[in-house]
Amino acid sequence: MACLKEDPILRSNDIKEDSEETEPKDKVREEGGVREMVLPAGNSIHRSGSRPQLDLSGAAIQGNNFEERHPTILLPNQSDDISHLALDIGGSLIKLVYFSRHEDRSIDDKRKRSIKERLGVTNGNRRSYPILGGRLHFVKFETSKINECLDFINSKQLHRGGMDSRLWLSEAPPSDDVIIKATGGGAHKFADLFKERLGVSIDKEDEMDCLVAGANFLLKAIRHEAFTHMEGHKEFVQIDHNDLFPYLLVNIGSGVSMIKVDGDGKFQRVSGTNVGGGTYWGLGRLLTKCKSFDDLLELSQRGDNRTIDMLVGDIYGGMDYSKIGLSASTIASSFGKTISENKELEDYRPEDISLSLLRMISYNIGQISYLNALRFGLKRIFFGGFFIRGHAYTMDTISFAVQFWSNGDAQAMFLRHEGFLGALGAFMSYEKHGLDDLMVHQLVERFPMGAPYIGGRIHGPPLGDLNEKISWMEKFVQKGTEITAPVPMAPSGTTGLGGFEVPSSKGDTLRSDASALNIGVLHLVPTLEVFPLLADPKMYEPNTIDLADPSELEYWFTVLSEHLPDLVDKAVASEGGTDDAKRRGDAFARAFSAHLARLMEEPAAYGKLGLANLLELREECLREFHFVDAYRSIKQRENEASLAVLPDLLMEIDSMNEETRLLTLIEGVLAANIFDWGSRACVDLYHKGTIIEIYRMSRKKMQRPWRVDDFDIFEERMLGSEDKKPRPHKRALLFVDNSGADVILGMLPLARELLRRGTEVVLVANSLPALNDVTAMELPDIVAEAAKHCDILRRAAEAGGLLVDAMVNIQDGSKDSLSSVPLMVVENGCGSPCIDLRQVSSELAAAAKEADLIILEGMGRALHTNFNARFKCDALKLAMVKNQRLAEKLIKGNIYDCVCRYEPAP
Amino acid sequence: MELTSIALNFRIQVTARSLIKLVYFSRHEDRSIDDKRKRSIKERLGVTNGNRRSYPILGGRLHFVKFETSKINECLDFINSKQLHRGGMDSRLWLSEAPPSDDVIIKATGGGAHKFADLFKERLGVSIDKEDEMDCLVAGANFYLSLMLSVHLGSLEVEEDAIRHEAFTHMEGHKEFVQIDHNDLFPYLLVNIGSGVSMIKVDGDGKFQRVSGTNVGGGTYWGLGRLLTKCKSFDDLLELSQRGDNRTIDMLVGDIYGGMDYSKIGLSASTIASSFGKTISENKELEDYRPEDISLSLLRMISYNIGQISYLNALRFGLKRIFFGGFFIRGHAYTMDTISFAVQFWSNGDAQAMFLRHEGFLGALGAFMSYEKHGLDDLMVHQLVERFPMGAPYIGGRIHGPPLGDLNEKAIFHASKFTLFINKLGSGFGFLTDQPKTISGAVF
Repeated sequence: MACLKEDPILRSNDIKEDSEETEPKDKVREEGGVREMVLPAGNSIHRSGSRPQLDLSGAAIQGNNFEERHPTILLPNQSDDISHLALDIGGSLIKLVYFSRHEDRSIDDKRKRSIKERLGVTNGNRRSYPILGGRLHFVKFETSKINECLDFINSKQLHRGGMDSRLWLSEAPPSDDVIIKATGGGAHKFADLFKERLGVSIDKEDEMDCLVAGANFLLKAIRHEAFTHMEGHKEFVQIDHNDLFPYLLVNIGSGVSMIKVDGDGKFQRVSGTNVGGGTYWGLGRLLTKCKSFDDLLELSQRGDNRTIDMLVGDIYGGMDYSKIGLSASTIASSFGKTISENKELEDYRPEDISLSLLRMISYNIGQISYLNALRFGLKRIFFGGFFIRGHAYTMDTISFAVQFWSNGDAQAMFLRHEGFLGALGAFMSYEKHGLDDLMVHQLVERFPMGAPYIGGRIHGPPLGDLNEKISWMEKFVQKGTEITAPVPMAPSGTTGLGGFEVPSSKGDTLRSDASALNIGVLHLVPTLEVFPLLADPKMYEPNTIDLADPSELEYWFTVLSEHLPDLVDKAVASEGGTDDAKRRGDAFARAFSAHLARLMEEPAAYGKLGLANLLELREECLREFHFVDAYRSIKQRENEASLAVLPDLLMEIDSMNEETRLLTLIEGVLAANIFDWGSRACVDLYHKGTIIEIYRMSRKKMQRPWRVDDFDIFEERMLGSEDKKPRPHKRALLFVDNSGADVILGMLPLARELLRRGTEVVLVANSLPALNDVTAMELPDIVAEAAKHCDILRRAAEAGGLLVDAMVNIQDGSKDSLSSVPLMVVENGCGSPCIDLRQVSSELAAAAKEADLIILEGMGRALHTNFNARFKCDALKLAMVKNQRLAEKLIKGNIYDCVCRYEPAP
Repeated sequence: MELTSIALNFRIQVTARSLIKLVYFSRHEDRSIDDKRKRSIKERLGVTNGNRRSYPILGGRLHFVKFETSKINECLDFINSKQLHRGGMDSRLWLSEAPPSDDVIIKATGGGAHKFADLFKERLGVSIDKEDEMDCLVAGANFYLSLMLSVHLGSLEVEEDAIRHEAFTHMEGHKEFVQIDHNDLFPYLLVNIGSGVSMIKVDGDGKFQRVSGTNVGGGTYWGLGRLLTKCKSFDDLLELSQRGDNRTIDMLVGDIYGGMDYSKIGLSASTIASSFGKTISENKELEDYRPEDISLSLLRMISYNIGQISYLNALRFGLKRIFFGGFFIRGHAYTMDTISFAVQFWSNGDAQAMFLRHEGFLGALGAFMSYEKHGLDDLMVHQLVERFPMGAPYIGGRIHGPPLGDLNEKAIFHASKFTLFINKLGSGFGFLTDQPKTISGAVF
């Protein structure tokens, strides 16, 4: 981005405000009216991450003379320090954590502002300064290649607050004393180099402090940060914050530190050992001539330690020494077999030596750690540090040692961000880094396109723009091993896992250290909240389908792979089918396929993986290649077609009595849910008739009882029995699914019925496009169009502030006796076909506070996720199952079976 | 003299790992004459044989000999030449008159007891009776440790300085013998460092539990050392270490913090942060490092580790005393210092590392004691006198070839490290004889 040369006035339009106060600039946006809100949304996403988000409230230009060339802009409420970079400079690796701010993706449009006012949404911050939305990136370099690291920092201007802030920095006087927080032994050693090359001072932070701060942050802020690793199987563990302390933190660097952690900033180094990663690498180098730590680790994977180690079986003639619980394969003496007189170093396989060494050291660390945990009565031991590197064998060995010596009482756990504890802790040592109060629900981890290729590897400087990224992807596919270019960055620095030294040594197959875990970019979204109506947020698990089951994983990968060409076609068409769009489409297909392949290789690579995560990954991958809304035109077409038949449908419904009407409406929701571009089976249907034909056919087939049929209970609640009329719900949240018939012929009529009964209705839709799902940005248009033919909808929409033009009239006749309960639209905070109710938008959270009925509609939100979710209020889950496997698994039924699950408030 | 007591005479501990330790008993002639005068005195003073058993304790000597496992033939030759498996040369006399025993059984312990059973059968015609290793270790340690304390209970019949204390501490090159109250002996942690390491909590005679261990032991030192230094023997490797400087190999705290201590967590600049942490340098190969330094670094790494794990286990069971034994130590000052330092460091001085003079022979002695009626159980310390034969000053704790028989040969070399004399009760002077050049200790 050539920000520097841009006209400052243009930029000011892009500077977003965190404060809710209206400012004059908004006038400019309002002119476009409602209609304009839809399209610019895409453009804005295009630019996401490229604009600084500054808090301008209270900003002032100092100095009376406006002619002054470089007035100093003071930003009293700007929370961030200049530097958003922290380092952990270790003996072999430099770990870098940096923060890039990004624009709030959603647009602060009229709808949003009115909904915020109506619902009383605040920013939800308990602090005096706002949390910045942004991304936390994690990058590694080899210490011996420190220049690459310096170049990287320089190219991104990280020491100056990143490229994003160049804008205002250029106007500020050059800072003489930029300070970067760093930890690790090398922080001293390279201080001069940093001063010389970047002109920055290194502020050395205590290593132990950083480790603990980093670990505490990760364990609290990232769900499923920790996992166990037994016999090659990873299992992610969710740890209750209240039950986190005390724990033992074992950091395995060159040496090993064991730290008892009792709370934030409360810890004590209780032990350690000098036999650590440095010993493995040092001895390994002497014994095998390996050129790098990773080579040495890789060697071990093909090793057999029986030629090196003396096993219990060797001593006891192949028998166990069961009396004391030692099996024949237990190592009695590491390297105990290399004392043979007629064999020299050269006579042993380096692979075997590496493995034996690895076992010796891992086992030893596990044992000493356990003994220390025991000493202080600690049940949990977290292992981190560069030695582990997500290496399966290392983790297994450590786990085995802990398990063995503790008789299963203690558990070894590992951290996904294991190498970055120190760097993260250093980052947190900045005052006002804004991370302290972050809650787990405000963080979203994303995996950019480079992830599958690099795993947890070290790499050189990443590339910058989309074009480079696409060409890298093209070259990678064409040339395989020959490519030495670094892996590209996502647009405008969205990724920290940029590239790698030498791309996979095996051409287009993926990395060999398959078990290593990927670290994504942490997106900090301060506006996300936990959905307040969850009955038990701690126990809540959104995914109905856990992809830890390999057959499940394989099935969904096949489904997604088969769907991919169709999706690419749609995506390319949505961008006008240009050559550029085609190139991007191909690159997207490759990138997403690579993600899938990576996950097939190591299902735990991206952390705990549920179906929802996988579906979201696809959407994010599309956005990464600037496909803003692949189904845009399809959605528009279907919306128009459905809106055209809506008046007839409403008339038909209005002619029915109350009981028939309610059933028909529910049938309608289920029938209309057949229109789903995410379902292969349904896409085939589209070619067989018009929307209304399919809808009617589908509704006709709705033979009760449905596979899951709680309609009678729901009806009882809604209509009551004979003489007893129940109190209507105060407010209903309707989580809508697809565009077109689904929302217009299914959900809108149901919403209308609720409104008619005096229940406020909040339509909850996606913040960002996902497949053909309707978005919160599109809904007001749809509602406005529908309202043209329906008074109930019109008055409710007016009351809900959806009809901006009409609002003037409402205000004029505010005493109108026809005023209605409001129909509102809120965004859900996500851009996926599924929904994780632990991370929803603040406006949804606010809307939920007075709601006493939740209706979840569609497979993504009611089946794939939340099928088992329990709520504090009445909940209705409606979906047609458009997948044979899911039908069998979930409801023991068949494709096109229906689910109408009603669960009254407990 | 019953036949059973002859079988007692030969005990061997075979270890598949590096060393064969052999404990054998040789009777010596009772020089006192059971004359009339003596018998009458005994009767008059009410001296009985003092045995609560029906058979007498034999007077004789316990010998301790080591061989390298790889040179098992030397061991077999030695046994054969001394006819140890037949009760020793001393018993030739009556053996020749007894029918040749078809089934001589030798007690043995250690992993190699299985492995070499056939060889023993073939070469010596004896069967190996495998004794549990742990049982033997503990029995041996208890025996030695009890001895030590008995001496101080004092018997006027024995010269006070005739028996060394069994246990000693070793800090910064300084050895200090330790007196342990018998009533306060148990429980203790026994750490036997062979090829691997066993950690045994001992609560009493025959009462013990293997509570821990580590696979990083003597075998690791020797195995890695061989690969890295091309040393031909364990002892050579140990000797190398004495001229080593580990600063070229190990990454010290000072290396990381620019020569400064990381005092906040109590680490001095010379603390090893990472063993072998400096050999990751890109432009140096194995050949560029001194074998002396490598050996020392390895020794420190392993000793320190054993010390640490031992302490943690002692702590776990509230044991104040840790006795280290096993062939790895070999009386090597640096090894003992390192282990002691580790225990001292991690325990803040609460726990103490102690070593046993008979460190290598715990198992073998325990195997010896597993013979029924071995006659050692009830021995009182005043019945034991330790003598150092002429070879002692030359060989120290070393391994060696077959010991020599006659006086002339003895002038050149000697077999046993030392010999423990066992007195027949009542014959207070028997032990003084039969050792032409017996010395107490070191001067020769």
